[in-house]
Amino acid sequence: MPGSAESLHIQQLVELMAVVSSSTDESSAVQHAVERSAQALEAEVAAVVLDGKVAASIGFPLGAVPDDDIVAVSLHERDTLDVPGVGRCPVASAAWAGSKPGHLVLARWGEPFAIEEQNLIRGMARLLELTLTMLRTLAAEQSMRESLQERQRLLEQLFTIQRAIARREDLQQILDTITLAARDLLGDEISLLWLRDEDDTGRARLASAADAGGILPGSALTADLTDAATASQAMTVGDIVVRQGGIAATEVVSRFGNGRVHASMGAPVHDSGVVTGALVVASCDEGRVYGPSDVQTLRAFAQNVSLALTDANTVVRMQQAHHDALTGLASRRLFMEQLTQRLATADAEGATVAVLFLDLDRFKDINDTLGHAAGDQLLTVTADRIAAQLRAVDLASRFGGDEFAVMLHRVDGPGDAAAVAGRIATALGKPMHVAHQRLRVGASIGIALSTPGHSDPVELVTHADHAMYEAKRANAGGYAIYDATTSAERDPRPGPVRA
Amino acid sequence: MDVSSEQEPGRRWMGVGRSHAADSRPAAAQAARFALTGPDPKLLIVFAAITHDPQAVLAGLAEAAPGVPVVGCTTHGEIGPGGPADGTITVAAIGGAGFQVQTTVARDVTGRQGDAGFEVAACVDRVDLPHKVLMLLTDGLVRDQESIVRGCYRALGAAVPLFGGAAADGWRMSGAYLFKDGQVLTDAVIGVALASEAPLSVAVKHGWRTVGQPMIVTRSLDGRVYTLDDRPALDVYLERLDAPPEAYTDPAAFTAFALPRPLGVQRRSGVEARNLSTEVDLAGKSIGGGGAIDPGGLTWVMTGDEESILEATDDACRDALSGLDGHPPLGMLTFSCAAIRAVLGDDGIQREGQHLDRWAGSRPYAGFYTYGEIARTHGIDGFHNQTLAVLALS
Repeated sequence: MPGSAESLHIQQLVELMAVVSSSTDESSAVQHAVERSAQALEAEVAAVVLDGKVAASIGFPLGAVPDDDIVAVSLHERDTLDVPGVGRCPVASAAWAGSKPGHLVLARWGEPFAIEEQNLIRGMARLLELTLTMLRTLAAEQSMRESLQERQRLLEQLFTIQRAIARREDLQQILDTITLAARDLLGDEISLLWLRDEDDTGRARLASAADAGGILPGSALTADLTDAATASQAMTVGDIVVRQGGIAATEVVSRFGNGRVHASMGAPVHDSGVVTGALVVASCDEGRVYGPSDVQTLRAFAQNVSLALTDANTVVRMQQAHHDALTGLASRRLFMEQLTQRLATADAEGATVAVLFLDLDRFKDINDTLGHAAGDQLLTVTADRIAAQLRAVDLASRFGGDEFAVMLHRVDGPGDAAAVAGRIATALGKPMHVAHQRLRVGASIGIALSTPGHSDPVELVTHADHAMYEAKRANAGGYAIYDATTSAERDPRPGPVRA
Repeated sequence: MDVSSEQEPGRRWMGVGRSHAADSRPAAAQAARFALTGPDPKLLIVFAAITHDPQAVLAGLAEAAPGVPVVGCTTHGEIGPGGPADGTITVAAIGGAGFQVQTTVARDVTGRQGDAGFEVAACVDRVDLPHKVLMLLTDGLVRDQESIVRGCYRALGAAVPLFGGAAADGWRMSGAYLFKDGQVLTDAVIGVALASEAPLSVAVKHGWRTVGQPMIVTRSLDGRVYTLDDRPALDVYLERLDAPPEAYTDPAAFTAFALPRPLGVQRRSGVEARNLSTEVDLAGKSIGGGGAIDPGGLTWVMTGDEESILEATDDACRDALSGLDGHPPLGMLTFSCAAIRAVLGDDGIQREGQHLDRWAGSRPYAGFYTYGEIARTHGIDGFHNQTLAVLALS
């Protein structure tokens, strides 16, 4: 038995299989195969050639491996190898095909390899091929698993972001979250969100920035778009732009890395369908190459930036339509809409709605003597003081000029409304600092309460307006409650209320 | 006192000295002085019985040959002219302008044997005479010595033969020592790059033969064999040899039984012997020893006798000396396995010494009984058990 070459070769294959198949990665499998095949054949030299390059070898002094000669042996262009310390050695090699073709090359001092030894080498090559194929399949599976996990992380991040958008959380915070998430998920060191400067379309503002350490504190950094080249290109093209290399040290992105920036990718972001900026990631890793899944990930984050911007700006535009531009209070239109709704349900809810109508007592004089700017300032302070006296369910509005209306929801009776009116009168009666002057401006307030069966908002506001005139006539700076019996017969107003 | 030397005037020489004195320092100094037989000494190689005080040995060497590099180790018996001996300090010295020597050491070897071998091989870069050998002295109680040799091969390739041995401790198995210049080391590898103007030649032989049918290693890990033919390895091994009952239960009885009966591992050029006697695990029923035994491999029980072992002694010496390509030999380093002593017995090793004497003639030789021999001339393997490894210098 021990003398039988056949049994020895079978044993050597089994040993090689036991060692090589226990390898957990391609490079250790190749290294094991090299050492074990040399051991089995008592060869001085063994090497594995993959893709025309020596992937591993043993038998040559460090740094003196004749790669070209070994490759030539694998191609049957040579039939000996010169091995230092040994001399010219006969060689044997065996090839394998498949997804990654390669060669196992051996060189041994003395007699050429016998035919059965060449067979053994072919068997070993085949075994290595199978092991490498198995390891690659496992690696592909592993990478698919990791990619699925990545997808899951992306989905979780996007879900968090979209929930924040839906809850109308602070826009800056949302943008920072997206910028950071893009950096994390793509595994890069740098992530920047550029938005076009509204006043100068040739420049951009850095809306959010994250480096290796995390989100950087807000800065008012603006730059010429030529210095934010990735963002600029993405905005021009209107699609993802990938740059591998060629990133200048003068570009703003270069300030954020720990070394030279080697790769960068940008995706345009939109506000209401118009390109307004770009989300950019960048890496200082020389080997960084952006693949299709990276492109897809950045696109998803850029779309979320667009979603957040569009949503936030829609809210702003809606507010502008329903709010007084000067004071920020509800517009007359919004006030009347809200009042209509409240009155419609008041009866059913058994609730009483009160309307307070205010008119500043000396507004016209101030406006004429101190100018419009001072008048505007006075109105703003007045609005703030009124709003400060109200609950969240109440609504204050600027009706026009120096007239304000307040809707109090669910009041218990005239006393309640009078108490609020009293507080407002007191607040407005305190001195105001306007145009470097200390002014004292009173207001007259009329109060009207809804009555069951009457749901006309215009009527209720008219009643409050009447009461306001009562108050102004009786005692400037005070308030009066609408009394149907007295007010009906002597209407002090020149015309009906404009509602 | 036994002294001999051989010189090629002015260029290269080797000398060996030995002291039987019990007092370590003067014994070492005396042995060194007798070994220093020529000008320009390049290296002292000391083989000291484990009974000696290692620091005193180094002090004695430094006193006799200040500034000369020292390497060495403790033994399971020292080999030299006058026969093998226990309790001595035996020193080999080499020198002359025709030799170059560079020494190095890797420490904390356990767990990184391959890297340690790779590291010590770097000393070869510092010699440039045409004929080179890397001599290794290792701690015999470190496992997986093959990896040390493999690490050297990774760095050097086939260009440089390897020779050496594993330090022993007189079969105490509690700690062997390595010596390098003023230091006493354990868990280390010493590398000696030896280069010469004239050929250096390494050879190795064993005198064992296989018994019966082979067994398949069905489970092994880190140098231990757990199952042979899918049964507990210890039982299979002892049953094959019809071992006495006490070998199954008494570690000392097992060791005594296993020493002359190594396990054979199939290699292309023959069956290599693996000593099983030192790492017995009677409870776990696994066997292990000086070298790796791979899963899937075929193994045999091996036996030998004085005749076959002494035949191997002759073969190893003949091969080593004939490798000098006709250059007159200066001397030999002879590393024999500690386990061989158990087979040969005290009388048998004297006869082994006589064989060595015959091959050496008037030339000096020195060595020791090791816990593993290193000799790599062809192929990538070079760690052996139960062999005689010889380095011949010319």
